[in-house]
Amino acid sequence: MSKAVEIKNLSYKYPDGTTALEDINLSIQAGEKVALIGPNGAGKSTLLLAMTGFLRGSGKVFVDGLEVNKKNMRQIRASIGSCLDNPDDQLFMPTLQDDVAFGPLNMGLESEQVEQRVAEALETAGLGEMGEKAPHHLSAGQKRAAAIATILSMRPKIITLDEPDGSLDPRNRNNLIGLLKKLPQTLVIATCDMNFAFAVAERAVLTDGGRIIADGDVEKIMLDEQLMTKHGLETPKRRG
Amino acid sequence: MHHAHIDKFAYQDSVIHRLDSRVKFIVTVLFTAVVISLPRTSVSILFCYAVGPFAVLVLAGIPLRFVFKHILIVSPFVLVLAFSSVFYDRSIVRIAFGPFLWEVAAGWLRCFSILGKFIITMMALIALVSTTRFGNLLCGLQKLGFPNILVIQLGFLYRYIFILIDRAHHIIRARSGRKLKNLGVRREVKVAASMVGSLLGRSIDTAQRVNIAMEGRGFNGNWHSLSRLRVRASDIIFIFLAAAFTAGLFIFVKPILG
Repeated sequence: MSKAVEIKNLSYKYPDGTTALEDINLSIQAGEKVALIGPNGAGKSTLLLAMTGFLRGSGKVFVDGLEVNKKNMRQIRASIGSCLDNPDDQLFMPTLQDDVAFGPLNMGLESEQVEQRVAEALETAGLGEMGEKAPHHLSAGQKRAAAIATILSMRPKIITLDEPDGSLDPRNRNNLIGLLKKLPQTLVIATCDMNFAFAVAERAVLTDGGRIIADGDVEKIMLDEQLMTKHGLETPKRRG
Repeated sequence: MHHAHIDKFAYQDSVIHRLDSRVKFIVTVLFTAVVISLPRTSVSILFCYAVGPFAVLVLAGIPLRFVFKHILIVSPFVLVLAFSSVFYDRSIVRIAFGPFLWEVAAGWLRCFSILGKFIITMMALIALVSTTRFGNLLCGLQKLGFPNILVIQLGFLYRYIFILIDRAHHIIRARSGRKLKNLGVRREVKVAASMVGSLLGRSIDTAQRVNIAMEGRGFNGNWHSLSRLRVRASDIIFIFLAAAFTAGLFIFVKPILG
C-alpha cells in the first residue's frame, strides 16, 4: 500500500509565537479513513492546512509521494482536496453547479468532461437535482454535502475535512456519515465529535497541545476512557 | 436566516426568463439610457415609457407588490434629491395638458421627472434581475467582454452580502440581549465602532478562507462558468420589440406629449 500523506518532524508556530504543531510525525496509507481527534486548540485544523500546503512549518510534508513545496503545488492541489469547516467559505460561486465545476474547469478539462464530473459529484453527494440552485438557498446539510461535491468533482486521491459534522442535525449527520463511508478516497477528518469520528474512521490520531498523543485503531484509542478524559474528550457510543 | 432575495423570482419559468441574459442586459442598459436622457420637461411621456418594463414584469409573472416594495427600499436618497429641486428651482413654467394650462415652479417638473425616471429605470432593473439567474447574468457580462475582475467581484458580492447581513444581525442581537440601558452617545458610538470592527475582522477572516478554498481548487484568476448562452429567435424578437417600442415613443409620441 502506498503512502498518501507522510509528515516528518513538522513544527509550526503562529506569528504571535504560539506553538501550533510540535514535531509531528505521521504516515497515512492510501485508502485509509483517519480521524484527527483532540480538544479545541489541539492543532487539528493547522495540521490539515499544513497537509494541503496552506501553512509551511519546519519539517517535511509529502502528499502522494510529492514534497509539499511551491514547485509541486499544482500537482499537490490536484491530489488533495480540502473541505473547510464552514461550507459558506467553500461555496463561493453563484450556483451550485458552477461551484462544483470550479475545480475541474481550473484543471483545464473540456466542458463535456466537466459536466460529467459535476453530474457524478452531485449524484454522489445526493444533490442530483440541485445543480442550478444558489448556495444561499440550500439547507445546512445540503451545504455540507455540496462542499464535499466541490472536492469530489476534482477526483482527488485524498480528501481532508475540517469539522464536517458541525451544526448538522442527526438525519443530515447520518447522511454525511453514509456519504463519507462510501467514498473510496483517503480521508483525513478533523473533528471534536467522537461519535462521528467513531462511525466513519478506522484509525484515530489523538492530538493535544500541537503534539500527537496517540495513534492507532479507532476502537483501541477512542474506547480508552482514561486517555480520552485526560485530553478533554469523551468515549463514543459503541457501534451497533 | 432567510432574506427577501432580490432574485427570488429568477428561478421561475416564463418567456422572459428564457431570454438570453446578454440580450436582457443590453436592452435594459439601452432602455435606461434613453429614459435618463429624456429632457426634464418630458414628464408625460414617462408614463408611456413605464409600459415597457411593466409589460415585461407582467409577462414574467413578477408580483408588482414585490417590485414597488424594492423601489421603496432604495427610494430615500432619490426622494431627497427630487424634492430638494423644488426649493432651488423656483422659476415659473407653463404646462399644458389638452385644454388645461397651469403655471408651476420648474422645480416641481424636475422633481416629477427625477421620480418618474427613477421608478421606470428601477422597474427595468428589477425586471432584469428578477428574470435572470445571477450566474447567467455574470456569464453574460463575461461574454460581453466585461473585465474578469469585475465579474468576480460581482459574483462575490452577490454570494457574500447575505452572509455579511446575517453576521451583522447576529452581532446586533448579541448587543441587544445585553443592552439594559442607554449608555449615552459617546459610549454607544464606541460600542457601535467595536461592532463594525468585529464585522470587518470576520470579513477579512472569511476572505482568507475563501481564498484557501479557491486556491485549493486551482484558481488562476480566470472566472469559468458552465452556463451556455445562446441567442435564439425569441431573443431577436424581443430585441426588435424593445427597439420598436423605445424608438416609436421617441419618434411618434414625444412630439405630441413633449
